[in-house]
Amino acid sequence: MHVHDLNPKKTLVVVILFVMIIIAGFFTLKQPRFKYKLSLEQSLKMLNDEEACFHPWQLADVLSKVNSNVVLVDLRDNFTYSRGHIPGAENISAYDLTDDKYFDHLKELYSKGVTVVLYGKDRLQANGPWMWFRQLGFDNIKVLLGGYDYYKEHKADLSKSKEDKSYILGKPDYNYSEMAKPVNSSASVTKKNKKKTPVIRRKKRTTTASGGC
Amino acid sequence: MNRNYIFLTLLMLLLATGVLFLPEKPEYKQTKPEDLLYEIIQPTRYVTTDQVAKMIIDKDPSLELVDVRDVNSFEKFSLTNAINIPLDSILSESNQEYFGIPGMKVVFYSDDDIKADEAWVLTRRMGYKDTYVMTGGLNRWIETIINPKMPPDDAPYTAFEQYEFRKGAQMYFTGVKIEAKTTKAKVTVHRKKKKAAPSGGC
Repeated sequence: MHVHDLNPKKTLVVVILFVMIIIAGFFTLKQPRFKYKLSLEQSLKMLNDEEACFHPWQLADVLSKVNSNVVLVDLRDNFTYSRGHIPGAENISAYDLTDDKYFDHLKELYSKGVTVVLYGKDRLQANGPWMWFRQLGFDNIKVLLGGYDYYKEHKADLSKSKEDKSYILGKPDYNYSEMAKPVNSSASVTKKNKKKTPVIRRKKRTTTASGGC
Repeated sequence: MNRNYIFLTLLMLLLATGVLFLPEKPEYKQTKPEDLLYEIIQPTRYVTTDQVAKMIIDKDPSLELVDVRDVNSFEKFSLTNAINIPLDSILSESNQEYFGIPGMKVVFYSDDDIKADEAWVLTRRMGYKDTYVMTGGLNRWIETIINPKMPPDDAPYTAFEQYEFRKGAQMYFTGVKIEAKTTKAKVTVHRKKKKAAPSGGC
């Protein structure tokens, strides 16, 4: 039998099988556990999103249970948490965030539309994890400005911090160029005089006896 | 012509056109999310103002300071040999050449550490390694290097050592007159004992 005389039906069966295997392969491909939902450009843009931040004065409503749609998450380690935390905060140490138990819990909160506020010792500690969750598409997660340190200092009257802008970072505290400008030339002269390093003259080593046996 | 062949050719052509519509892959290989979070949690990316000052004074050729503030602030004041890449334009193609240079340590800084840290997270996701953040940013630079404060008397010895270094660095960066106290350091010269002339021989 010549190869050209193959049954067209047989070919069709083979082709269909081939396509089926490829499709099955696509579906059984191991999905990565975490996937970026935001592109880099979107992630960069997100950083300027005022809605993604949580101000200390907004805590007042949470603590008095007026706003019950917020869950506070303390990212510090368990020991530090036990030494003092914002009332009602859950403790998920930053190292445990990817554990199934906690990650599924956060996913559940996301699907319920609950706002999750992350906080650490200061803003910086929670800022990275917050950016990470945002890049994964958790747009219910916010970062507490000022962190625990600011809360602790102002917990007596949180609503007052509405006027206080000290917890908003990213601003120069000094006039750098004014502070760091070189002092005038007369000063540098005195500096020169004082800096004079003693010159140490060392005797040249006498060359070891040349020649020899 | 055999029908089978025509059919197979058409199928192959169809598959080939499908390749055209594949999503474009980014040039860099992005860091996996779980790896990124792991590194975010590690504090290893933070370098102190003292460390940066020491590298500048030592003229360390592997140091690449990146100022992520806006152009105006950069022009008013910047650290020695820093380059300006405002955070907003950190993803632009022309800025990519500054990252991922083998052997170079990129140190981000801003007014404090938030923006610099955000720049770090983004570039780390892009897969660039050897990137760092100067803790406290320029505000702490002023507090520690340009205007160092004398530690209290009961401070540990290391605090005074650090203060001595900072005073020296202050002098380096501003040319400020240093106090007599620090200049008094005595220079002792240890001379090698003269060696006896080689004895013996022919």
